[in-house]
Amino acid sequence: MTMTREELTVAAEQAFSAQDLAPDAETSWQTISDMGWLMMCVPDERGGLGLGLEARAVIHHALGRSLVSGPAITQMMAIDGLAGGERSAATDALLERAMTGEVMTAPLSHTRDGKRLEAVPDADRASHVLDTSDERIALIPLAGCTIVERETWDTTRRLFDVTPTGEGAVTLAQGETAKQLNAAIQTNMLVALAADALGGAEAALAMSVEYLGTRRQFGRPLAMFQALKHRCANMRAQLSLAEALLWQEVQGSPDPIAAGALKAHCCHAYQHIAEEAIQLHGGVGLTVEHSCHLFLKRAFLDGALGGTCDHWEELAGRRLLAAE
Amino acid sequence: MRNCLNTGLNIIMDEALEDLRKKLRSWLASNAPTNWRSAETHEIFVAQQRDWFKKLVAAGYAIPHWPAEWPGGGRSLAEQKVIYEELARADTPRLLLTFISTYHAFATLSECANDDQKARYLPNILKGELWCQGFSEPNAGSDLAAIHTRAVRDGDHYVVNGQKVWSTMAQYADRCLLLARTDASGVPQAGITYLLMDMNAPGVSVRPIRQIQGDEEFAEIFLDDVRIPVSERVGAEGDGWKVAQATLASERGLTLMELSYRMRGALWRIAELIRTQGRTDDAGVMRDFGRLAARVDSVCAIADAFLRKRIDGSEQLGDASIVKLGYSRCLRAYTDLGVRLGSLSEQYLAPITFGDLNSGNWMADFMNSYAWTIAGGSDEVQRNIIAERMLGMAREPKSWTLGKSI
Repeated sequence: MTMTREELTVAAEQAFSAQDLAPDAETSWQTISDMGWLMMCVPDERGGLGLGLEARAVIHHALGRSLVSGPAITQMMAIDGLAGGERSAATDALLERAMTGEVMTAPLSHTRDGKRLEAVPDADRASHVLDTSDERIALIPLAGCTIVERETWDTTRRLFDVTPTGEGAVTLAQGETAKQLNAAIQTNMLVALAADALGGAEAALAMSVEYLGTRRQFGRPLAMFQALKHRCANMRAQLSLAEALLWQEVQGSPDPIAAGALKAHCCHAYQHIAEEAIQLHGGVGLTVEHSCHLFLKRAFLDGALGGTCDHWEELAGRRLLAAE
Repeated sequence: MRNCLNTGLNIIMDEALEDLRKKLRSWLASNAPTNWRSAETHEIFVAQQRDWFKKLVAAGYAIPHWPAEWPGGGRSLAEQKVIYEELARADTPRLLLTFISTYHAFATLSECANDDQKARYLPNILKGELWCQGFSEPNAGSDLAAIHTRAVRDGDHYVVNGQKVWSTMAQYADRCLLLARTDASGVPQAGITYLLMDMNAPGVSVRPIRQIQGDEEFAEIFLDDVRIPVSERVGAEGDGWKVAQATLASERGLTLMELSYRMRGALWRIAELIRTQGRTDDAGVMRDFGRLAARVDSVCAIADAFLRKRIDGSEQLGDASIVKLGYSRCLRAYTDLGVRLGSLSEQYLAPITFGDLNSGNWMADFMNSYAWTIAGGSDEVQRNIIAERMLGMAREPKSWTLGKSI
């Protein structure tokens, strides 16, 4: 596989246009599956394309930019579990099904309440849910599980609480292997959320700059007012810095704390840019007809999923304190 | 993509970098200046700077960004980063005195000067000849093209009159990169000429500027009928604006990479402060520290990305402004966290370290951080450039003129 980041970015941006925000979920899932993205990060020997974190970030950046709904992040986590765990005829078959688009999901909440898994995207149409801990990674059939929809402000995602029965669970890894695989799955999830955030931030900024160029008040385009220009410049700078950090980190092999600090940094940028986007749009930004609010809501959800910014920043600070 | 890379080559490169790191560390163990933070006067500081530069030149670490034909030059970007990180980690002084010589003068001379000028000046930089920059004026700061200093041709000389300000270490400089106006008839950018001035020439006088944190990093230069030979002109008459871009570009590329990596290398100072202030169990402080570290990492990452773009020719309008704005705002946040954690103890007057942006005297460092939010094009100018040239937002109308406003 010798695809470059640029080639993959072009392909992703052709598949999901920035002009078509929050596209139909069914069609989007078909596109994601048809593009082969679900098998992109699976090793060659397991039938995938063997690409790494950078490719993963490119895909989720594109999905975030167009506010694509659906369980792409958690599907890839389930696939990571299947591809990274113990190999058997059963897991080979499950992996094949997952790579070709059968929905499998996982919780995006960092904490759990007893047996209940929280923030599980698209659990109502998924066949399995991935249950991860440092001791055991398992894939649990959703048939028979208690599934409760939890409506979120962000309507581009659908989250559920799942209380598994545990019946028919396939253990993918245990012991030291489970610990390592869990760390890898967490890192992948956090990088995906970081990339989603920066894709959305890019779109929200572009939309705001365009609006300021079109909207006229006091006899001139709003873009001509220096007070507004400087805010856009700050948004652009914040986004560029976060992008530089993202594309640097995905060239290496970050652990969950490094990926968590990255996610926090990117989500701060997204939240700030989405917040400013509504303010810069004025009254129209407050209406549901305009798409500004979709970015704001997704930005805040991204910040809360996969462990809060506070959580990861504290861990990163503690680790750095011990090292310096 | 990661798997496109030749990992075998990477391992060899990583080993070479680790080797450089080890060599530099062991050299620093016996050569790093130790008492420089307590320099009591500016004269002692300057003497220490000269001495440290000499040592670094001899050991081959002073000018890693120069081409390979110079001793100690020809280092890759990755090697340069290792050098800056290790110099910061060993708490060595930043080369402020020779900063303009090795960056601005070097870049200008090597890109725009003629062979005679290069031969006369470049080797002397390594011997310690000091340059300063005569760009800003009292009424031409962020609006640099508005300079008024006049150069009038008189035979084979220019006669220069005017005033320059915010010139780094000009009080110690031997030579000056000078912008002067030779023609006032066209647009401000035209009619500027770039001259190399001897600071000991008759008519040149220098007065240091005392800054709010107590340092004297900058000076004013007064020019009174100073005669500069025409042979000291860089580029054609009236091409000074173009040449000045080469001078300024040197500052926004490598300098910011060095400063960013030094800032990262000095993160231990915050860690030390957290410990001495007994805040290690304070989750809020841990979060702020973690958050700042990610921000510092992002500044280093964008400085890297910018240099790669510059090297492969894909730099775009506004990129340099984002790097500078990112660094300057991060430096302010960094010093702000230090002041906050230091609490009342940082409010008692304490001796400053001359010429250091990350000295650990947090109140002084905070005040010194304005050097980067104002100098070299203020944050506001950078934001204008980002908004107008990168985001394509409309320029303000230029109809306002002095005297006609309401």
